[in-house]
Amino acid sequence: MIHLENVSKSYRTERIETLALDSINLEVETGEFVAIMGPSGCGKTTLLNLMGLLDTPDQGTLSLDGEAIGKQSDRSLSRLRNRKVGFIFQNFHLVGDLSVVDNVEIPLLYRTLSSRERRELAAEALGRVGLSSRISHLPAQLSGGQQQRVAVARAIVGRPQVLLADEPTGNLDSQMGDEILDLLEELNRDGGTVVMVTHDPRMAERAHRTVRLFDGRQVQ
Amino acid sequence: MIRKYVQLALKVLARRKFFTFISLFGISLTLLVLMVTTALLDHVFAPHPPEVHAGRTLGIYGVSVQSETGSGTGFLGYKVLDACARDLPGVEETSFFRLHGYVSLYRNGEKLRSFLKGTDASYWSILDFDLLEGRTFDATDFDQRRPVVVINRTTREKLFGRQSAVLGQSIEIDGRRFEIVGVVEDVPIVRIVAYSDLWVPYSTARNDDYQQQYRGDFMAILLAGSRADFPRIRAEFEARVAAMPPPDGFDVVRSGADTFFEFMSRQIFGDRMETSHAGRLRWLLTLLAFLFLLLPTLNLVNLNLSRILERASEIGVRRAFGASCGHLVVQFVIENVVLTLLGGLIGFLLSVLVLGVINRSGFIPYADFGVNLRVFLWGMLFAVVFGVLSGVFPAWRMARLDPVVSLKGSST
Repeated sequence: MIHLENVSKSYRTERIETLALDSINLEVETGEFVAIMGPSGCGKTTLLNLMGLLDTPDQGTLSLDGEAIGKQSDRSLSRLRNRKVGFIFQNFHLVGDLSVVDNVEIPLLYRTLSSRERRELAAEALGRVGLSSRISHLPAQLSGGQQQRVAVARAIVGRPQVLLADEPTGNLDSQMGDEILDLLEELNRDGGTVVMVTHDPRMAERAHRTVRLFDGRQVQ
Repeated sequence: MIRKYVQLALKVLARRKFFTFISLFGISLTLLVLMVTTALLDHVFAPHPPEVHAGRTLGIYGVSVQSETGSGTGFLGYKVLDACARDLPGVEETSFFRLHGYVSLYRNGEKLRSFLKGTDASYWSILDFDLLEGRTFDATDFDQRRPVVVINRTTREKLFGRQSAVLGQSIEIDGRRFEIVGVVEDVPIVRIVAYSDLWVPYSTARNDDYQQQYRGDFMAILLAGSRADFPRIRAEFEARVAAMPPPDGFDVVRSGADTFFEFMSRQIFGDRMETSHAGRLRWLLTLLAFLFLLLPTLNLVNLNLSRILERASEIGVRRAFGASCGHLVVQFVIENVVLTLLGGLIGFLLSVLVLGVINRSGFIPYADFGVNLRVFLWGMLFAVVFGVLSGVFPAWRMARLDPVVSLKGSST
């Protein structure tokens, strides 16, 4: 599903250049649940951003669902993200001005769907995360766990092939964190590929395998 | 998609009340000024009663006489009109009228300053006055030089009040008595062809000296069959004027048949009888509107740019879920246009109030300014231009944000 070969990424400021990822080789199979662990600043989120086509590698090759990612246009990369990837963020990143259902509809806005179809798919995704009764609420009216469940609904509403979760339980207490992990496991059991960045070994244990990073290098 | 963007824009505006208020305040004031100006220009140049045929009417407003030593321009004398403006091809009806200027009327020892026009009978059929009482004067009145007068509603009320009958009564104008035969609705001073307080047949002049004048106080209006007839009417009139023997001491006589807009463009650009300056006047008005929009546009651009940080998270999320730069530019521009259109609607409603205040102030005699569909559509066009101008650059900046950086920007 995701293939990285000798992928490196560095960030430059005026004074220094920081090597965020150094020669990463990684294969994520379809239907796999992979955890990425490592200390802060080791390149976990950078790796996830590369997998999700939010960023491009300086060196190496990357392919997603068999499609080599090179120097595609912004439009083409956006289309790939829209069709194939769903993101879940530590900070939820819900749009505070929009209702729950409008937030969940966001990925569908960039597809050719009627408003009715969008609304039905969003309602279905919210039903799947147990929030059917909250569709008209604003994010600020929900608990942290509920907000993250909305974020999960938004990530799955477009039925992407891979879910990329960046510390999805990082801002939640353990009980809510477990609920989110249960959801991710369920989605994985249904055939979805999940890649999750986490600090928490307990969460990582629930993945099929764990990739460890240290100073931008893959250590295991 | 666009409908969804509009819905989202309305939701965002409803939630961001302070930003919405500040933005709408500036936008609606700007558009208020533009719409009031548009309404004033519309009342000067567009067809309004009684000049309902303005779209196919040409006016002859001035004449220029030139010699080797100098030149002079001014209103027309009857001689030029009589020789050149009768029976022009393509003209359905022709009217000559003269601007006598202000005269004094007296009622119960009180002086009333009133504008007097001398007209022929065709004047009343080309212009569609709202006749409140009696009649206007006809060809027989004109030919027989009957001392009759049509007065406007305000003059009637000032001289006789609202109740008493006025038809058949007489008033003294410039030392002579004229019988009131009709009362018409007031016409604003901005409509120079139709505006007056008193109208008498110009054939009632004390003598016929005016008939020998090249320059005087006359104007003419020519009702064409259609606008398509304008070129040949102009050509024929100008040819006739060019063939006219000039007055003593001058070599050339020039005059032209213009729309009122063309006439005003000549006045503004200082060339009364030569080539048309209508295009220049249109450009000037467009440029002034653009310059007037520029400062509030820059303000709105600044306000929108200041919101980039606030919306960084949303931008990052939308990019992550498949929005291209183009999608975001369209979304943010639509949001801005929705905002300016709302400002335009508020400005439109405010302009109705402001025009009402101008009408009641008496600052412009007999002003009856108002809004109409044309003014509304111009206002909405201004709003859209304002929205696009002030939205594109901030939208482009927002859309170009790196999604990775945006997602680090803020959290919900």
